[in-house]
Amino acid sequence: MNDNHTVAAVRDSLATAKDSLAGVHMDTPLDAIARNGRARRRWHRLTGVTGAMAIMAGGALAVTTLAPTGQSSSPASHAPAAQLAAWTVDRQANGDIKVNVRQLSDPAGLQSTLRADGIPANVSVLGHPEPSCRPYPMSQALFTSVYHADKTAASGDTVLIIHPSALPSGAGVQIGATVVRAAEGRGLHRADVNQAIHHAALQPAHQVAAHNGVLRAVLVYASQQCTGS
Amino acid sequence: MRVRGMERGPREFAEFYESTRDDCLRIVLLNVGDRHLADDLVAEAYTRAWISWRKVRELEMPRAWVVRTALNTHVSWWRRRRHEVALGDHDTAMPAEHGTVVSGDLVAVLRRLPTRQREVVTLRLLLDLDTETTARILRIAPGTVGAHLHKAVATLRTAMPTHATQEIGR
Repeated sequence: MNDNHTVAAVRDSLATAKDSLAGVHMDTPLDAIARNGRARRRWHRLTGVTGAMAIMAGGALAVTTLAPTGQSSSPASHAPAAQLAAWTVDRQANGDIKVNVRQLSDPAGLQSTLRADGIPANVSVLGHPEPSCRPYPMSQALFTSVYHADKTAASGDTVLIIHPSALPSGAGVQIGATVVRAAEGRGLHRADVNQAIHHAALQPAHQVAAHNGVLRAVLVYASQQCTGS
Repeated sequence: MRVRGMERGPREFAEFYESTRDDCLRIVLLNVGDRHLADDLVAEAYTRAWISWRKVRELEMPRAWVVRTALNTHVSWWRRRRHEVALGDHDTAMPAEHGTVVSGDLVAVLRRLPTRQREVVTLRLLLDLDTETTARILRIAPGTVGAHLHKAVATLRTAMPTHATQEIGR
C-alpha cells in the first residue's frame, strides 16, 4: 500500500468513526454562547486584560470590591468557622482544613480564605486555570494523604478535607471547580451553568447551585503568583 | 461573500454556529473521547469565536479555528494529568478521561499521537483541508505538514482493522 492509499484508508476509517457519532449534537444554544461572550467582553472592557487571566482577576476584584456582604473576604483562621453563603472553611482541632461547599460561587473568595488559613492555594473555574501554576508531581498515596472527601456529610454539601501537615514543602493546593454535569442532572442547561460559572467570577452575589458538582483537587508548586506564597 | 457591518455580525455568527457546531463537536469528541469535556471545550471555543468574530470570520477556515481552539484549550487544561476528587462521588480519584464515550483502537491511537501530528490529522483528514491550507493555519511549512501526516498515518494504520489482515497476507 503506497502512502496515498494509506492516507486515504486512514481518512476513510476516521470518517467512519466520525459518522458513528452522527447522533451526537451540540446542544448548547446560541443564546448561551452569546451571553457568555458578552459577559466576558464586558469584563475585558473593565479590566483591560484578556483570556483566562480575566476570569481569575474578575474573581479577585469581585472579592475586594463587589462582595455585597464582605463575608467572603474575611479571614478564616479563626473560631468559629467562617460562615459563608456559598461555602465554609473551618480549621479542625487537629489542624485539618474542612472545606464545605454548598455553592461554587466566588472561587476567589474561597482562595483568599484558604490562604488566610495558611494554605498555599489556588482556586479556579474549569477552563481557566491560573497559567503560572505548575503541577506538583504526586502519587496516589500523596494525593490521598493531602485530600480527603468526607463521606459523612448528610446535608448533601460537598466536603473536602485538606491535611496541611501532609503537604510537601514547596507544594500548594489547587482546586478547580466545575458544576456542569451535576447541574445538568438537576435539569439546568449546561450552557446556562457555564454562563453562571463565569458570571459567578464576576458577581459573587450570583449563586451557582452546585452541591453535587466536581472539584478537581490537585497539587501545584507553591509560588507567589499561583498560590500566594 | 463575507458580510461586513456590525448589524450582520450576529446573524452571520448564528449561521456559522448552526452549520458547524455538530461537526466541530464530533471532531473534538474523537480527539478527547469524553462527551462532557468535548461539549465544554467546543462551547468555550465558540464563545471565543463570538468575542473575536470580526477576526475569526475573516479567517480562511473559521471552522478549523474553532476545532483548534477547542483542542488547544484541552491541551492547556489537561496537560497536567491530574487526580480529581469527584465530590458527588466521595473518595474517588478519577482519571482525566473519566466519562469516555468514544472507543475504538483507531481513535485511541489518534488521542495518543503527539500534539502536532494530531493537529495535522485533524485538519487534513477530519476537516479535509489541503496541505497548503493546513500549513497556513498551523504556520508551518507544507513539507512539515506532510512529514507529520506521514508519521501519524503510519501510527494510525497499525490500529486499522485491515492492517492485521494485510500483515498476515504478506
